[in-house]
Amino acid sequence: MANRRAFMKSGALALFATGISGLPRFITEAAAGTQMLPMYKKNKTLVCIFQRGAMDGLMAVTPFADPALQLARPGLFMRPTAGEGGSFNLDDHYAMHPSLKSLFPYFNAKNLAVVHGVGSPNTSRSHFDAQDYMESGTPFAKGTASGWLNRAVGLLNHAPTPFSAVSVTSSLPRSLYGDVDAIAINNLQDFSIQLKGNPMAAGKAATSFEELYDQTANELLNKTGKESFEALKILKSNNIKNYQPANGAVYPNSALGNSLKQIATLIKMDVGLEVGFAESGGWDTHFNQGTTNGIFARNLKDFSDSIAAFWQDLGERQDEVTLMTMTEFGRTVAQNGTGGTDHGRASCLFVLGNDVAGGKVYSNMGSLAKENLEDNRDLPVTTDFRAVFSAVAENHLNLKTNGNLFPDWSGASLKMML
Amino acid sequence: MKINPTSQTHKRIIRYAFVFGFLFLMAFIQPAPKMPYKKAGLTEQEAALHLLNRFTFGPKPGQVEEVVKQGLENWFLEQLQPAKDNEKVRVKLSSYTALSMPTDSIVNTYLQPAQLLRLAIAKGYIDKDSVDKTDRPAYREALKKLQADYGFRPLQELQRELINQKVIRAVYSDAQLQEVLTDFWFNHFNVSLTKNQVQQLVLPYERDAIRPNVLNNFSSILFATAKHPAMLLYLDNALSISNDNEYAKRQLKAAQRLVDLNAAKKMLAAAGVSEDSMQKMDAMENQMTTQIKKRKSQGLNENYAREVMELHTLGVNGGYTQSDVTELARALTGWGVKPMYEEGPLAKRFSNIPPAQLTRRGLQVEDCFLYSGEKHDENAKTILGKTFPANGGYNEGMEALAMLASHPATARFIATKLAAKFIADEPPAAVVDEMAKTFLRSKGEIKEVLLTMVMHPDFWTKAKEKEKIKSPFELAVSAVRATGTEVAAPYQVFTWSEKMGQKFYFYQAPTGFPDRANFWINTGSLLNRMNFGMAIAAQKIPGFKTNLLQLNQNHEPESVEEALQIYTKLLLPVANQKENSERIISIVRAQNIDLKIASASKDTGGMQDMQKESMTEMNNTPLKSMAQVVGVIIGSPAFQRK
Repeated sequence: MANRRAFMKSGALALFATGISGLPRFITEAAAGTQMLPMYKKNKTLVCIFQRGAMDGLMAVTPFADPALQLARPGLFMRPTAGEGGSFNLDDHYAMHPSLKSLFPYFNAKNLAVVHGVGSPNTSRSHFDAQDYMESGTPFAKGTASGWLNRAVGLLNHAPTPFSAVSVTSSLPRSLYGDVDAIAINNLQDFSIQLKGNPMAAGKAATSFEELYDQTANELLNKTGKESFEALKILKSNNIKNYQPANGAVYPNSALGNSLKQIATLIKMDVGLEVGFAESGGWDTHFNQGTTNGIFARNLKDFSDSIAAFWQDLGERQDEVTLMTMTEFGRTVAQNGTGGTDHGRASCLFVLGNDVAGGKVYSNMGSLAKENLEDNRDLPVTTDFRAVFSAVAENHLNLKTNGNLFPDWSGASLKMML
Repeated sequence: MKINPTSQTHKRIIRYAFVFGFLFLMAFIQPAPKMPYKKAGLTEQEAALHLLNRFTFGPKPGQVEEVVKQGLENWFLEQLQPAKDNEKVRVKLSSYTALSMPTDSIVNTYLQPAQLLRLAIAKGYIDKDSVDKTDRPAYREALKKLQADYGFRPLQELQRELINQKVIRAVYSDAQLQEVLTDFWFNHFNVSLTKNQVQQLVLPYERDAIRPNVLNNFSSILFATAKHPAMLLYLDNALSISNDNEYAKRQLKAAQRLVDLNAAKKMLAAAGVSEDSMQKMDAMENQMTTQIKKRKSQGLNENYAREVMELHTLGVNGGYTQSDVTELARALTGWGVKPMYEEGPLAKRFSNIPPAQLTRRGLQVEDCFLYSGEKHDENAKTILGKTFPANGGYNEGMEALAMLASHPATARFIATKLAAKFIADEPPAAVVDEMAKTFLRSKGEIKEVLLTMVMHPDFWTKAKEKEKIKSPFELAVSAVRATGTEVAAPYQVFTWSEKMGQKFYFYQAPTGFPDRANFWINTGSLLNRMNFGMAIAAQKIPGFKTNLLQLNQNHEPESVEEALQIYTKLLLPVANQKENSERIISIVRAQNIDLKIASASKDTGGMQDMQKESMTEMNNTPLKSMAQVVGVIIGSPAFQRK
């Protein structure tokens, strides 16, 4: 279904213009006219899912072997059990929640890693602040104008396409604020010239618009106009509406499932996607979060099934993609008075990819006895989120960050990638 | 309130005296009292259009001529005067309840979802064991009943009023510059609805801290924002406290007493004291532990202090150091928010504090602002080389902010930002220099800085060379104004602005939206600008009523060509847009000729019947052709610029 011609053209010209290739003009021009461009390097793609609301990492991947946990949250505690519906013993210390059933095989296949005890050095327990810091990647500076994912794409310094950085959300997330063009789009089908109830008029207007933007003297409007219409044609020719997931993948009919499906679509279209971003909500479980059933279990199942469907759908394209999840903080070790948990510190995250040293829980977590906890209540942060983010970006995207991805941070990346 | 006509007249006289006085003064300073647009090669019409493009949300039909008639200078001086809502705006806003509500009433009427839920549980509307929302309809019903019983209103209603009033004022207010500047200064001192803690406060923030000050002295807007609960919570200064003052020391002593208490308790228990007294001691112990824990979990928070220097005043290269940030943060410790939520424990406790204790703890209230001496750092500080002696209390924060407001780096930073807003993304240095000088000389009078700008040739010469791209909000509102659209559903402007990349009031970072062309224009947003043009012209936006015929004095164009001539002239009003209009005409004409040939030869190929029909219909309906022409004009490159 690939139709990369338009972008290859601009890509090739950009290469020529910057003098990287040093090729004579006739070669680049010839290359631009063909379907396959030899020097066009397929982009690696990093897909990030932000779990907004602070996921209870101690329930998602539970250190069941620590007796202090059962004491602190007797009503929420689960230990692995054999048979259907039980949680999955990972290493005799940690177990995955039963809702992660669809992801567990990837852990076994060593493509999925869990990092536990992840969080920010800033102790804020405000959703807003913690998300803001995690997305800007500067936990002590609110005024950082850019988000870390935007900086990552900028550092890659590839010839940009309209789809280098795409967030499948209604507005741009903080992670993608910044100098690199990034788009937020809820539904790829909306990427078109359209007029409700009058497709004919829209089609006619589209031709007028294309010409007008082609002729304008304003460089920015001219360039962006061209890109927009090229992108539009590519999406149109790929028949987004009738996209069929491959390999029998079935996406849950949920916000996250739909977002990941669209990201998969973009990946398969080879439109130069380098960073894809999606969100998952409902993790702020102050009340009755449940155990094997309940809000948390339902939410986690959607999370797991969406990611599993995405991975299955990618099939042979899996090598190009790594998926990482994140959440602003974790929740209290002890359960609260309403069957839930309150805002805490560290949580866990998941990294899925063929270049991930998976099948392992990366953790420096100590005993959960009260005296070991942060402020006597929370799982302490033992791995800085930037150690994980930079490990994934450096390895998967082959990025030389040189301290530019996370300014003011000199820590080491976590060794969790192959 | 009864208006005293005499005092109004007096005010008007004073205002005119100011206006004439200024013009008189300008006559001596400048060789010509006129704005120097002629030298830049602009006609009076072109200059009027430029003024309308930059200082309003877009010209209305016939407005260029009105400004010419009034005189460009007179029009601008009038715009520099703060003004109350005009009749049309007042009528449109008359049903908006929150707009006139005091902040603490807003906080107690439009509860946050979490507050509502807790209250529902506390008052028995929802059983705490069934809060997993399994039965959503029942859950919603219970919350609805609670709201009805207590007179609470949904928070979304408050946000809707906030959003709608911005749209209504931008479209209908005659005080256009005041609205443009409200947009500008809000973005400069950005707070965001994405932060739960400030959701109820953004409306009062714009209403009380921003709009009344936009044409005021810069320091007044800086003080107003610094002390507003929205800013205090958004940038966390309300959390910033000192652990190194007398009050903290007293609390630490209390901690020591607690340790002593523990020892005593053990002794008493050994001696066999009654269960009752032991329980009382336990309760005391718990209370103190909570208090001390809370105190210890807080400390100095530098967020506001850093951003007020980096983003609000000096600018990132304004010459301050990390030490200045810390010292300013210390000077602002204790600046917080009066507890307002009556169902919360804090407000109850606060209202029970006897006056004597208020004084002893150094608590001062000013509207919703609360200064807590007990949380203030009492040591001496040095900020930007100036020493603030110990025990400066509340005043030292004010002095420090005043120092920032009048700093040369601030003058340059604000002058640059205003010039970038009103002249070009990369404003010419000469005019910025002049504006910065005026800022310093006038001690931050925003009006004076703007006057310097329009009296500078660069404001006019660069108008031809450099263009500003309209923000999505500006595009939507300018289209509404240009087409004389009647807006019954202002929220649609928000919906479309979000699609075009500007979810206003929701920009998360304190930087505010980067107001420059390459931020606003990207592939996704550009297509939606075109879609917006078509939708508004084709009457596809619910609650928008556009009368294209009326726009042309009810004269129906005879042909598509005439429609093109008329509407390009109406929407791209002045001669320097001639090139653009010619281009649009030729392109749209080409499209239509194609269409006619296609339908005449009946050679519609594989087209669906429905499409055939709509094609024919379109050719036969001049209104639809008009709509299409207008849609293309609004979505065209020419209309994206101002």
